[in-house]
Amino acid sequence: MNLRWYHFAAWGALIAAMLLMPRLVDLGLMGRGTLRTMIQACYLAMFAISWDVLSGRTGYISFGHPFLIGIGAYGTAILSKKFGVPVELSIPLAVLITMIGGLVVLLPALRIKGSYFALVTLAFMELMYQLVQVIRPDLTGGTRGLSGIKTLTRGAENGYMLAVSLMLAVALGCWLLMRTRFGTALWALGQNEEAVSGSGLSTIRLKAMAFLVSAFVAGLAGAFLVHYNGSLAPRAMFDINSVFTIIVAALIGGAGTILGPVLGAFFLTFLLEWLRPFLPGAERFLVYGAVALVLYMYQPKGIYAIIEGGLKRLWGRA
Amino acid sequence: MLQILIQGLLLSGLYALIAMGFTLIFSVGRVLNLAYGAYLLIGGYAYFYFSQQLGLPKIAGVMLAGVLGCVLGLLKYQLLVKRVQGVHSAVEIATLILAVVLQSAVVLIFGDSSKILLPIVPGVERVASAAIPYSNLVATIISWAILIGLYFFVRLTHTGRAMQAVSMDAKGAAISGIDANRINMITWGISGTLGAIGGVFFASYTQLYPGMWVAPLIIAVAVVIVGGIGSIIGTLVVAHIVGFMEIIVSSWNPELRGVFTMLLIILVLVLRPRGLFGREEIH
Repeated sequence: MNLRWYHFAAWGALIAAMLLMPRLVDLGLMGRGTLRTMIQACYLAMFAISWDVLSGRTGYISFGHPFLIGIGAYGTAILSKKFGVPVELSIPLAVLITMIGGLVVLLPALRIKGSYFALVTLAFMELMYQLVQVIRPDLTGGTRGLSGIKTLTRGAENGYMLAVSLMLAVALGCWLLMRTRFGTALWALGQNEEAVSGSGLSTIRLKAMAFLVSAFVAGLAGAFLVHYNGSLAPRAMFDINSVFTIIVAALIGGAGTILGPVLGAFFLTFLLEWLRPFLPGAERFLVYGAVALVLYMYQPKGIYAIIEGGLKRLWGRA
Repeated sequence: MLQILIQGLLLSGLYALIAMGFTLIFSVGRVLNLAYGAYLLIGGYAYFYFSQQLGLPKIAGVMLAGVLGCVLGLLKYQLLVKRVQGVHSAVEIATLILAVVLQSAVVLIFGDSSKILLPIVPGVERVASAAIPYSNLVATIISWAILIGLYFFVRLTHTGRAMQAVSMDAKGAAISGIDANRINMITWGISGTLGAIGGVFFASYTQLYPGMWVAPLIIAVAVVIVGGIGSIIGTLVVAHIVGFMEIIVSSWNPELRGVFTMLLIILVLVLRPRGLFGREEIH
């Protein structure tokens, strides 16, 4: 794992800073609205981490991540609302179902890669979107979706604490996992698959693990997000814009790093919030997308690489 | 029965036209151009603006939409794709971002609500209880004309054969003295034009709204992949399979309309990745 003292220090500082945010509200330095924006950013960060574990490292670009998130979200929503399963049980069950869904996405990845894989995942998402509305609309709520789902927390502060602790746990867990030999192998998979299998590693097993971890995070975040929002709608869930937001968050932050997607998610969520007074509707995505495109063309490795480069320069000069 | 046959033919012609522009880029540049859907969007809205808001003749509206699509394709190649070429995922992601940016630009200019396009050619023909709007008929005839023209262009002209050569083996083509950059420019231009004209017809077939590009993009992708890369015949055949499948399924249960198309893509990609009519990839 090769952990150093400054790793502990950096993570400690990050966790402390995130957990102390609500105190800023008490001191009047920050509004409650900002806290709600940060909750959104936390969930987006988890989705981006999930995407990054799968696509950022292995190079299997997924355009259908809402497929996995949707299984988690619908799973717990249906179990808790329609079958009266307690939330403590329905969320783990939903995560389990999502991991099975992850294995379904794995099937095409065993044979095809690159652009083809991206397309299959897009087709998976579109298929899910259409099926959810048609098959058993009494359970899924059809086109309207579900509302009145039990919420876990009340008030911005509790919601924030839950979201941020989940996000930090997921980030730390994935970060540690990626520092093991498994993480290195995944990264190598993205560089050269033949070389990995030539080194005697089972690429199938590696891919399966990556898909399971990614599906676990996606299902977990999707399930908790539903219990935070209290409702879900198929059009908003399986939308090309939501794919776009997740991928852009991971890329702008820095794919292949764990902190990158978190940075990207916070940056983009706040960018979208700041634009709200000027552009109220979907037009915000114009500025948002343009910023993303310019940043991506300028530095494909993302904000993380920009900061890292800046720090190195400072260090070198000092 | 006749109704299904006629509607299937009309829809399939439209799908073939949309898929053709997409297959050109995919086979020549090996670029998955996710912003292809944006050509349809821009084409549809350009036609709406020129012919319905400015009141230009309809044929001029279609032409201008085509020109705009061509310019857009060339700009995209020069400014975006050329800079990240070689990295497939980068092209896909950059074009996806561009598509969303263009969609929001359309929302900004024309608003979020859907617009109704007046039929390009008014009037309806009735054949044995089947109603055929002239508009759809014209769209089908034009797309067939374009497809046949394109087929002979790719097969017989020097430029068309150079396009084929680049799509088969870029290095070999370069050795034979083909300027790949020029061929790419031509391909992106044609693809943009086809996409924009396809968008005009598609918008008049369904309706014009900012999110209209996603469904035809997925269908174009399905047709191209199931048909096999670089196969114009394959594209044509599969466009008809998908078109007829949609009409038959929707006459049985309209809600399941898109489901089988998605299943077809997934199944074919998993079982036979090079498509039904495609050739083996040369690495």
